Amino acid sequence: MFILKPHSGVPIYRQLLDQIRRMAASGQLPPGTELPSIRELALRHAINPMTVSKVYTLLEAEGVLERHRGKPMTVAKPTRAQSPLAKRLEQIEPHVEQVALAARQLELTEKDAVKALQDAWEKTDEQSVHRRTRPR
Amino acid sequence: MSSPYIAAHGLGKSFSGKLVLADVSFTVEPGDVVGVLGKNGAGKTTLLELVLGFTPPTSGGVQLFGYDSYRLPGAAKARIGFVPQQDELVNQLTAADQIGVIASFYPKWDDELVVRLSREWEVDLGQRVKNMSVGQRQKLSILLGLGHKPDVLILDEPVASLDPVARRQFLEQIIEVAADGKRSVVFSSHIVSDVERLANKIWILKDRRMYWQGDFDSLKDSIVRVHARSTQPLPASLSILNALNVQRNGTTATATVQGWRAEMQDGLAQQLGAEIEVEQLTLEEIFLELHR
Repeated sequence: MFILKPHSGVPIYRQLLDQIRRMAASGQLPPGTELPSIRELALRHAINPMTVSKVYTLLEAEGVLERHRGKPMTVAKPTRAQSPLAKRLEQIEPHVEQVALAARQLELTEKDAVKALQDAWEKTDEQSVHRRTRPR
Repeated sequence: MSSPYIAAHGLGKSFSGKLVLADVSFTVEPGDVVGVLGKNGAGKTTLLELVLGFTPPTSGGVQLFGYDSYRLPGAAKARIGFVPQQDELVNQLTAADQIGVIASFYPKWDDELVVRLSREWEVDLGQRVKNMSVGQRQKLSILLGLGHKPDVLILDEPVASLDPVARRQFLEQIIEVAADGKRSVVFSSHIVSDVERLANKIWILKDRRMYWQGDFDSLKDSIVRVHARSTQPLPASLSILNALNVQRNGTTATATVQGWRAEMQDGLAQQLGAEIEVEQLTLEEIFLELHR
């Protein structure tokens, strides 16, 4: 469901936080979607349960997730129907900037950089299709 | 907040006048998974042995469940699990008998758990300890530390001899222990990637002292590598606050900075008249930077 890389400079909690936020904002995780339990997610990715717990609590405070007594957490209904494009673009901006910066340092042409992004775009689509077909 | 399981204040140890650990203070709360890092000889094993009460401190003290760890009552001892670096198995016994001996000390022994894990971990209970591989012995040793479901589990280099599959199984078991938030784990390891997955707190021992301790996430946020790139030569006396290591090469400079905060980026860019890029580091890189 999520792609977590513990051996990356970005703290695991932030990776998870950003992914759930993004997937909820884009509607990939529609409102009402149930999230795995803390234990389940921790075991699946072999990460500390407190990390998952912290992310769920932060996202609940932000209004992205909803907690239900004795039941799985769910994706909350966004206050506006769908998070506007501008808001979603704002979220991806720092990541794109990083890519652009790295591309310039490597002295790639704009065309090469865009091509690389397109390739990555297609590759992640295959990955997400593959993930969806796997039983939960 | 509940009271900590472990609390140390100014803990120090000398062996025949030679200092092996100095002035260490920390707490471990229920639910914590603490990763202890340090080079060989940094004092990790001594620290764990002091917590366990195997040896009295030379200065300061450490309390377990509110008791002085060197004078721990039996009931409190039963709440601790320990997996030593060198296993203390009896060669002549079969794995099953070895488990039986340890189980007899604990009223709360969970035989079902131990049998299930020994099957999953492929530990042959009929085999004699002396015929086991190092990895098998280590697995058995871990089983013995888990069987009485301790509230505090302390492991000294538990995975050194385990293959990647066994290591993952071990990690999953630690997650099970930590999942209900009522038990704690303290483990030392050179396998930094395991610490990276599991620990919510990190202790870095260096030169017999606690060099850094705290929340793992804040460690990754506060120690970063900063790259500065300018169109003009950067000043020779590049003073970046709290820089551990600085490398300057004309118009570019790279520094590892401690105590970094995101809002410092703009100020630094102005101060140096340079473009600033902040690179986050893996735990292994942080560890290496702290030891340069």
